[in-house]
Amino acid sequence: MISTSRSSAVKVDYRQKLAKLGRRVYKERELWFISSFAIVWVLIFAYYPMYGLIYAFFDFFPGRTLAESRFVGFDHFIQFFSLPDMLRILRNTLVISTLGLTAGFIAPIILALLFNELSNSLFKRFVQSVSYLPHFISWVVVASIIFSMLGSEGVINEVLIRMGMIERPIGFLTEGENFWALITGANIWKGVGWGTILYMSAIAGVDPELYQAGAVDGLGRLGMAWHITLPGIRPTILLLFILGAGGLLSAGFEQQLLLGNPLTREYYEVVDTYVFRYGVQLGRFSFATAVGLLRSVLGLMLVLITNALSKRLTDVSII
Amino acid sequence: MRIRYVKNSLAGQLFDAFNIILMILITFVMIYPFWQQLVVSLNVGLDTARGGLYFWPRMFTWENYRYMLAQEGLLRGAWISVLRVVVGVSTSLFCTGLLAYVTSVKWFSARRVIRLMFLITMYFGGGLIPFYLLIIRLGLLNTFTVYWLPGLFGAFGMLLISSYMHNLSDSLAESARMDGCSEMGIYLRIVAPLCLPVFAALAVMGAVSHWNAWFDVMMFNPGGDWDTLQMYLRRILLEAEMLNQLLADQRRYDELRRLTPVSIRAATTMIVTLPIVFVYPFFQKYFIGGLTLGAIKE
Repeated sequence: MISTSRSSAVKVDYRQKLAKLGRRVYKERELWFISSFAIVWVLIFAYYPMYGLIYAFFDFFPGRTLAESRFVGFDHFIQFFSLPDMLRILRNTLVISTLGLTAGFIAPIILALLFNELSNSLFKRFVQSVSYLPHFISWVVVASIIFSMLGSEGVINEVLIRMGMIERPIGFLTEGENFWALITGANIWKGVGWGTILYMSAIAGVDPELYQAGAVDGLGRLGMAWHITLPGIRPTILLLFILGAGGLLSAGFEQQLLLGNPLTREYYEVVDTYVFRYGVQLGRFSFATAVGLLRSVLGLMLVLITNALSKRLTDVSII
Repeated sequence: MRIRYVKNSLAGQLFDAFNIILMILITFVMIYPFWQQLVVSLNVGLDTARGGLYFWPRMFTWENYRYMLAQEGLLRGAWISVLRVVVGVSTSLFCTGLLAYVTSVKWFSARRVIRLMFLITMYFGGGLIPFYLLIIRLGLLNTFTVYWLPGLFGAFGMLLISSYMHNLSDSLAESARMDGCSEMGIYLRIVAPLCLPVFAALAVMGAVSHWNAWFDVMMFNPGGDWDTLQMYLRRILLEAEMLNQLLADQRRYDELRRLTPVSIRAATTMIVTLPIVFVYPFFQKYFIGGLTLGAIKE
């Protein structure tokens, strides 16, 4: 007797809940309808490719389904490590991104500090605007410009020859050893102005009273830049450095694909262009997926490591 | 003008002079490469080949532009680029804005889950090859759709728009709802018009990135039927075959003999660049607004 009444009470409760849920969904029907498009889209375009990472563990060829493909475990990863290419592309990736994380990282900080010392605000705004401009230009256009500035018949070679400083044109674009300097220079030219924006807004946030106190303590302009402005933007610097360190294995690919040529492949091929070449151009999907996955996992680890280090040493962290 | 708390010493004045010179130098380095392209594109090709052309056209001419602007491939590329910007920006703004709206309706039970689903995509992804395989499987290879459909919704845009919507008052939307206005109607008639500033910032950023995109064109449209302007320039730049084809007409028409690869390349470069340079001064504040907003949000 007791048990039946209890079970019927549970049943009623369950029914009530269902009815309540039904009413709620009915009330929200329009929102659900709209959201369903977004959910379908995100499942297809963002989550399905994540699922696609398992191709890395199969021997997948187009035209076959995954079930028909052979499971190979970590073979592709092992193969990648045993290829002679591996050391070369790892070297190029690390060298290019390290140059970006040193020279390319410091340049915007210095430029922001120099901007900050300009007293004429109209001139300052003008120079700032001009320095942002290359950021908005595509890499194709930048490559075209670089070809006509640095090519063997380019402006720079021509001027150097006219001035009698060199006998024959320097192969900025054709000699492999120059590629790292070329790409670092191009990256800085394109990104240095844009890179100052976050630092400038951090500098604007430094408490003006600190400068007053600094003046009382007898600090000069250099002293103020060193002891007040620079510490004031330190969190921004560290934050951007952590983000940059996470990208240590992504050394860009547009630049390499446009500025590189067969003569400089030894020096330009990085992980991303390698994935593109093997995956898209040579059709070795599984192998390329494995290399890409390896890069992402190592990249994530790098972020976590630099984040932990920075948290311990300076209590700035992104996670 | 910034307030100075210390008297400028002699060293300070010297530094100021040095700094101004350095800034002028930086301005030169940033602008001159564009200027040089402009000069070459406005100079007779054969004359440019003699060298020594730096700051001003020696033999002024429009013929490089006239020749390039008569090329069917370039015109088609320009048309596709414009179409891509218009379709890509408008669809993604509409959909991302709608997503931001739906996830900011406070009583919607799935708002957190949907937000989370999108936030995860900011940190994890399948990478290049799984995405490429997806595009193949969906049959989007060599279509125009591939330019806008994969960018329809965006987590970054959603964050930006919904943080803006967060500051709007709910009462307007609530009273419209009382009056029987549909959710779509509220979004289109009330919320979206109030969010115009953030939409403008996103539109400008999106337009530039669509205009400048070339890698996805190369990857997803290998057939060349949907080549954009950037891709056209890339072909002229890197594919000798394309350039030879372009200049093949020269042998037939005498008046084209003064064109050179360098001069028509410069003209094409300017045609691709000028739209950005022209709109840049007007939209600069939106770019910076978008960047700093995004930085705060993260």
